[in-house]
Amino acid sequence: MLEGVESGIPATADNEKIYGGVATAERPGGTQPKLCIRHVSKSFKSVNGSAYVLEDINLEIREGEFVCIVGPSGCGKTTLLNIVAGLEKADSGEVWSNGHKVNGAGTDRVVIFQEAALFPWLNVVKNVEFGLKLKGINAKQRRETAIQYLKMVHLSKFQKAHIHELSGGMKQRVAIARALAMNPEMLLMDEPFSALDAQTRWILHFELQNIWLKTKKTIMFVTHNIREAVCLADRIVMLSTTPGRVKKEFQIELPRPRDDNDINVAEYSTKIMKELKSEITKVMQCEMDADSCVECDIKCTSVIPEKIDMGGGI
Amino acid sequence: MRNVAKRVVFFLMLIGVWELVYLCGIWPEYVLPSPVSVGKTLVGGFQNRTLLIGIGISMKRIAIGYGISIGIGIFLGIVIARFRILEDTLGALISGLQTLPTICWLPLALLWFGLNDRAIIFLVIMGAVLSIAIATDSGVKNVPSLYIRAAKTMGAKGWRLYLEVIIPAALPHIIIGMKQGWSFAWRSLMAGELLIVCLGLGHLMMIGRELNDMSQVIAVMIVIIIIGIVVDRLFFVKVEKRIRERWGLTKS
Repeated sequence: MLEGVESGIPATADNEKIYGGVATAERPGGTQPKLCIRHVSKSFKSVNGSAYVLEDINLEIREGEFVCIVGPSGCGKTTLLNIVAGLEKADSGEVWSNGHKVNGAGTDRVVIFQEAALFPWLNVVKNVEFGLKLKGINAKQRRETAIQYLKMVHLSKFQKAHIHELSGGMKQRVAIARALAMNPEMLLMDEPFSALDAQTRWILHFELQNIWLKTKKTIMFVTHNIREAVCLADRIVMLSTTPGRVKKEFQIELPRPRDDNDINVAEYSTKIMKELKSEITKVMQCEMDADSCVECDIKCTSVIPEKIDMGGGI
Repeated sequence: MRNVAKRVVFFLMLIGVWELVYLCGIWPEYVLPSPVSVGKTLVGGFQNRTLLIGIGISMKRIAIGYGISIGIGIFLGIVIARFRILEDTLGALISGLQTLPTICWLPLALLWFGLNDRAIIFLVIMGAVLSIAIATDSGVKNVPSLYIRAAKTMGAKGWRLYLEVIIPAALPHIIIGMKQGWSFAWRSLMAGELLIVCLGLGHLMMIGRELNDMSQVIAVMIVIIIIGIVVDRLFFVKVEKRIRERWGLTKS
């Protein structure tokens, strides 16, 4: 029943294991991947013809795996997530979720957006109940489920609060509870923490890891923040820009829960950042004048302190 | 409490000025009645129940007409926002009709429905439905797409998407349209009742005119103003306050 879903990552992607030793092929053979992206391409029409955002993306995510998609801005990582969510249509290629071809949005793949997207006309607990209500679950049972997941994100005492009374981090936790309450096959997270301050993000990294360890949900997490990706992911998929392709994959094998500020996390971030640098330069050249590049800018700034000669004339 | 006091003082002052102008004797009693005689007419009107019956009949008409307007208006607003073809056609017609005073429908209403309640209710609907439809249309168009996307990933589609997400999200706009529609409904009701003789507050006003009894005319005007204030306080102000609180639009 599953033609076109073969296992194995296509040879186009250059795979690298960042932590030597353990073999990449540890994936349990025979289990079909939870998510399967096959030859997905998508272009947007720009003024001068069509520009490719995504070109021939192939990706598989195993059950219970935490995958981060990173890449420079404009590489189409959010577009890819939207295609997986069924909120956008790919020009070609297909997405299989849990053995079913994705054809529109579905409750098996719940999205957590950058802004929490909570409904202001409902209070916290009713927001969490929203999807359950649509599923036709009775009032008592859905209240129980909602409270259970609000407890998981440590917000059960705010159940009656209005949405605007919550801080940014609390809103995202409610959004996570709302998504988990649906008991989806996988969570799709689209830069969910990028609008938060550093401390809140740090806390939420811990919280999300704990939730993931507890629930063992499959998570596809889009971010531009390499440190965040290293902190959270089992595997990081790096996209290149114009056109967006899978450039490289990295396995992250560090004990959990990981800390953003952990020395190992920092080390891997630097390593991955090096890979990403050429892509970022490409974006910069596109956005700025052709003669500017990241290297030049960095050189310039490093020269400045000598020129200033602070207090030299005294 | 202080707000109430302010209001009482304001209205007492207004009545005082009115009494002073009356006492100056510039205009005769049948042109400008004194507040006292208007008060007497009001009390008398309630005692012999003519005012009560008038209020009852007018309220019934406006309740039916306005209720129907809300239903049709919200439905029209949604379909206009949803279907491009309707926006280009029906949407244009509605904004055109909005500039047409409701009373212009009177000759047609008389011909279609006759001299009866239905003609008046028709006028009320024509008065209120357009503002509600226009407000709903703009409300629905202004619903952040983020809400719709989020709802879709949680399995909302079709009419449930409208019922659970789009209409609640558009409610702040819809309420503004309903409020405007309410005042248009009253205007249409009075226009209809003044011209179609079949009881109601407008009819009482007309009797006052015919008997040269300006205190009755002013008494009815006062009743209409009071009903307006009461409905505004009891319904619209409360609903708006609740929406502002929920959406976090007030600083308190």
